Amino acid sequence: MRPASFEYHRATSLDHALELLHQFGDEGRPIAGGQSLVPMMNFRLARPGHLVDINRLPLNVIEIDGPVLRIGALTRHIAYFDNPLIAKYFPAFLDAVHYIGHPTIRRNGSIGGSISHADPTAELPAVAVLYDADIVVRSLETTRKINAAEFFLSAYVTALEPGEMVVAIALPLPPEAFTGSFVELSERSGDFGMASIGITLEFADGAITKAAMVCSGADLFPIRAPEIEEYLVGKPLASPGSAEAGAIFAASIDPADDHIASAEYRRGLIAELTRRAIDIACTRALERS
Amino acid sequence: MIEITLEVNGVKKTLSVEPRRLLADVLRHEFGMSGVHIGCAHGACGCCTVHLDGTPRLSCLTFAVQCDNSSISTVESLGGTTADHPLQKAFRSEHGLQCGYCTPGFLMTLVPFVDEMVIQKRIPEDEEIREAMSGNICRCTGYHGIVSAVRKAVTDGLKSGAA
Repeated sequence: MRPASFEYHRATSLDHALELLHQFGDEGRPIAGGQSLVPMMNFRLARPGHLVDINRLPLNVIEIDGPVLRIGALTRHIAYFDNPLIAKYFPAFLDAVHYIGHPTIRRNGSIGGSISHADPTAELPAVAVLYDADIVVRSLETTRKINAAEFFLSAYVTALEPGEMVVAIALPLPPEAFTGSFVELSERSGDFGMASIGITLEFADGAITKAAMVCSGADLFPIRAPEIEEYLVGKPLASPGSAEAGAIFAASIDPADDHIASAEYRRGLIAELTRRAIDIACTRALERS
Repeated sequence: MIEITLEVNGVKKTLSVEPRRLLADVLRHEFGMSGVHIGCAHGACGCCTVHLDGTPRLSCLTFAVQCDNSSISTVESLGGTTADHPLQKAFRSEHGLQCGYCTPGFLMTLVPFVDEMVIQKRIPEDEEIREAMSGNICRCTGYHGIVSAVRKAVTDGLKSGAA
């Protein structure tokens, strides 16, 4: 199991990387940590003709930029654990990072890579959809922001065009009274998740005022749950009706059968994870009130 | 072919490689470091873990061309053929290996963890140890012995630091 031949190019600046990607079009792929791309190449499921190594570009900054937190595409997963901005503003994000692969993978894998790879079970695409993030994409000629809901089109398929590269993820900063949580189940710690649920809540006077929910494992890309988001508004934090929310959501989805879990098992699991995620978020909200 | 210079266990060598060659293969075949074991070649088993500029890295998910001018350590750098690094000794005394195929990967993943715990002057909970080694798979010995080996290496490290 070894990759097919390709040509290797080390980008010396962002413009250089974009020039190379423009030149190679369909045949060019940026490589950062390679934690998803190289397995695909070793299996020969991916056979890019040209790899553009972007590891030495200065794209690993996490900073507040007006109303958003901007995370550079080369930020390694391990960086979130001791980042005070992630801990303060994005608790569901911080929870989710614990489920990403293993320590060695977290040390090397990047957010730009995870987002561009668009594995249907990956955590960071789900986080991006949960927080209504914009994916900031550059090509030689253009910069565009694609809302996460429009970025993930199917399993391993995104809205990226040939010659384009993810340069950052922009997460809108939340209001003051908010919290969140993220739960996932996989066969073994660090494996591909069977399903995961992320929740964010805004609250006032002991009740939920606004909610967002994302689910991986119900479809080929992370989906939001608008009916549960509506259902949760007005619910008291002390008894948010989480089990009922799980049941309602599970009845509305059509998860896939695969070698890891049957559709029915996955449906039950998603109901239970929904309950847990809502309960954890509400407990955190009560602790903050 | 691309010309690269790698420093492997302190020895620098310049060589020409095809871009598609994995760091794991180059370490084994061009540098003779047969302690770099390839289990799955897709990042699931951790056997091929080496240190790239001091940090654990899966050498089956790394192209050698990416490592030009980098410094790499393999399991051979720990205790040589006598395997007398403290963590290697602890693996022996705590029954942390049988067939040994996964052992180089476990060692290269766990040595920085043990060092970090000794710096922090604390003995980690078993759960932390299991999390630290969650990217490595052992198919014959099981994990209890490896967990005790890590605990012993940290304990010994703290004792010798205090002495």
